[in-house]
Amino acid sequence: MKFKSTRFVSMILDNLIWLLVAFALIIFSSLSPSFRAPYNLVNILNRTAALGMLVIGQAFAMMSGNFDLSSESGLGLTAMVAGLFLASVTNGGLGFEVSPIVAILLMVVVGLTIGLINGFLITRLRMNNLIVTIAMLMILRGLVYIISPGATASFFPDSFNWLGAGALFKIPQTKGFLAIPVPTVFIILAFIIAHIITRYTQFGRNIFAVGSNPVAAKDAGIDTDRIIRNVYLISGFCMAVAGLLAAGRLDSATPRTGEGLIFPVQAAAVVGGVSLFGGRGTMIGAFGGFALWSILDAGLSILKVSPFWIEASRGLLLLFAVALDAFKVKGMHRQALEETLSTSHIGRKDTNIVID
Amino acid sequence: MTTQETNSTQIPILVMKDVSKAFPGVQALRRVTLSVLPGEIHGLVGKNGAGKSTLMAVLMGITEPNEGTIEINGKVFSTMTSKEAIEAGIAYVPQHVAMMDSLTVAENILAGELPKNKLGFINWNKVNGEAEERLKRLNLKIDVTKKVEGLGVAEQTMLAISKALFGNAKLIILDEPTASLSRSDINRLFNFVKSLKDKGVAFVYISHHLEEVFEICDRVTVMRDGRVVDTCEVKNIDVPQLIMMMVGEGVEDYTRDSTCTDEIVFVLNKLTRRGYYEDISLQIKKGEVIGITGLQGCGAEQLGKGLFGLEYRGIGEIKINGKEFTAKKPIDSFNEGLAYLPQDRYRFGLVGVRPVRENVTYPILKRLIRMMNLINRNEEKEIVDGYIKGLEIITPSQDQPVRLLSGGNQQKVVFAKLASTKPNVLILHEPTQGVDVRAKMDIFRIIDELAKQGVATIVISTEIRELIGICDRILVMNNGRLTHEYKKGAKDTTPENILYAIEGGKKNHE
Repeated sequence: MKFKSTRFVSMILDNLIWLLVAFALIIFSSLSPSFRAPYNLVNILNRTAALGMLVIGQAFAMMSGNFDLSSESGLGLTAMVAGLFLASVTNGGLGFEVSPIVAILLMVVVGLTIGLINGFLITRLRMNNLIVTIAMLMILRGLVYIISPGATASFFPDSFNWLGAGALFKIPQTKGFLAIPVPTVFIILAFIIAHIITRYTQFGRNIFAVGSNPVAAKDAGIDTDRIIRNVYLISGFCMAVAGLLAAGRLDSATPRTGEGLIFPVQAAAVVGGVSLFGGRGTMIGAFGGFALWSILDAGLSILKVSPFWIEASRGLLLLFAVALDAFKVKGMHRQALEETLSTSHIGRKDTNIVID
Repeated sequence: MTTQETNSTQIPILVMKDVSKAFPGVQALRRVTLSVLPGEIHGLVGKNGAGKSTLMAVLMGITEPNEGTIEINGKVFSTMTSKEAIEAGIAYVPQHVAMMDSLTVAENILAGELPKNKLGFINWNKVNGEAEERLKRLNLKIDVTKKVEGLGVAEQTMLAISKALFGNAKLIILDEPTASLSRSDINRLFNFVKSLKDKGVAFVYISHHLEEVFEICDRVTVMRDGRVVDTCEVKNIDVPQLIMMMVGEGVEDYTRDSTCTDEIVFVLNKLTRRGYYEDISLQIKKGEVIGITGLQGCGAEQLGKGLFGLEYRGIGEIKINGKEFTAKKPIDSFNEGLAYLPQDRYRFGLVGVRPVRENVTYPILKRLIRMMNLINRNEEKEIVDGYIKGLEIITPSQDQPVRLLSGGNQQKVVFAKLASTKPNVLILHEPTQGVDVRAKMDIFRIIDELAKQGVATIVISTEIRELIGICDRILVMNNGRLTHEYKKGAKDTTPENILYAIEGGKKNHE
């Protein structure tokens, strides 16, 4: 009886994020007509797509038991590199005005290089991942200021901006058109791909193994260092795509592009059930966390809630998510203990089991 | 148990009765009963994981037992806090004594009650005098103005014991106190402990050095698998008997028919890793099960790890089915037909939070990959289902996180993982550690089944009776060399002989 109920509770806990998403959607929709307008709904994820790409990168890193805190600066740097090469001298660029394809390739190269450096320092030199990526966060942001220098590059070709600001198709409405933004569709696709990689490939399996027990993973024949290096490469790639989304959306790259995103990125991943301790979580969950974050963002600003309260409510949400994670781990321990007890002669009569 | 009756005239200072304790995945104590008399040095022995530490943690009020009572000096506790334990007179002196190293001996002794003069300053003369006075009462000569970090390990231990006594301790737990001491230091420590014993202080003495138990203890309690095997008067037993109790008697013996063939699968030729093992030459046939046993640190553990590629292997020739074995990493070992079961499955064998299915298929995922790099989930499920049925793994589903399974079933999952790689050579390190008797029988059957399929198996274990049951040959390792060989069914293949070979090697060395 009790076992069933704990299973049920754990099922609810596992899918809690979607209940929260639904709850937030319903609340905001009922409170504000402009929130529930189709235009707003399709744009919720549009505004935060760059954040979403970073969440993907972060989720990969966290599943492998690592962190990548450098991603917001990586976004800024890739965006600035592209901006400098694309924009004319008068618009803050270097005047090369390269074709968008070349600019995007450059961004990817920069992103992968960041990932390569992170992975190298962490696996080859055995440096702490937290410190390495915090250092990179500062170094890369500094680089953005150095190369720009401190100025904004803007006015890019439309084809470059398509991913970040384009409309996929337009649905005729009574008044004008409802444009489906490219980023909304793109970020959903990106999460689906990430989900397939983590769940249905050997690489994905190995990420989880490395994240939850690196020693056992090694014994099972997994090259743990290679997995971690690849995870950081993916994270670097995600930074580049996020940079493309952000630069395209604003039609400019400022030295501050991406600044302050890293904590929302962490928060969205954790709220979505990606464990801070590695090895647990799904990309679908991370998407839920990202969606919840975006909905709160859009909803609270439409309701004209004071930005101070928005910040505080974000903090509360994060605390809640971490508490939930801790609660889940504790629950697992308890369940294991109960099962041990029930098969032993002690039985489950002891109701005050202390979990050590 | 008979011995306890002869002493029943004395009232025990400590009686632990029917104490049980379960942790997730393992039952650490099962109805343990222990009594200690005043003025007694009571040995507590058992292999790693036998439950000694848990029992002491319960006694110190660190771990709360699930059932049972603790009676100290007539006061009965069912649960006890650390503070209550100390107040009742229990003190613990660990192998590495923790004191305020940078303070003097006197400051350590009088910590918290330093005498002050009228101005509120510490009266150092009085501090040192008082400390000296107290140590004198125990016949201990230590310069009280010396800093503790300047003392030898033996002095530190004696000081810790004294400090416990000043705090009115009645029962002192000594946990491996001699591990880093020279013989003369041990003698001084033992004399000190014996002098206190004459004053009526009781000791629980935990040690892996069995000779010491005979040297200093009055009675000894042997633990195994979370149970008390027996409590004996030391003068009534000898070392082999004690070891027999530690490694287990009365466990249902398992035997199997040899499946050994003539075809040689695995050849080791003069494998040497300096400081660990030397000149290891072995030929193992298809379907043969051999056991390697020896004292802790004899090199068998390193040999297993080295062969699998977890540690440096050393130099020498290794062949599997006539082909040179060169794997440097575990994944290559799997591919070249060698699989290894680590001793500590929680840390090395399993990815606890991940489901059973994933844990079984980690090494063989490559074979399951189909179109576009995706894993063929149906095939994977079928394979895992096969192993769950074949090995009788009890789990609600393939998706159950392995750490929620019982110890025996977890071990079977590790076996399934190894079996899935279809190895030619299987190395098992303490395969039955921490599993219950029924699961042990299942594991023996699995080993038998794999041997029937032609796998050459090496079992590295200290469970001599189990080795006699399952192995075609048992090799004894002493200081990195294979010194004795016992064949299945031979007359001299008895636990006593093998124990003698294990211990004998040690005596030669020292």
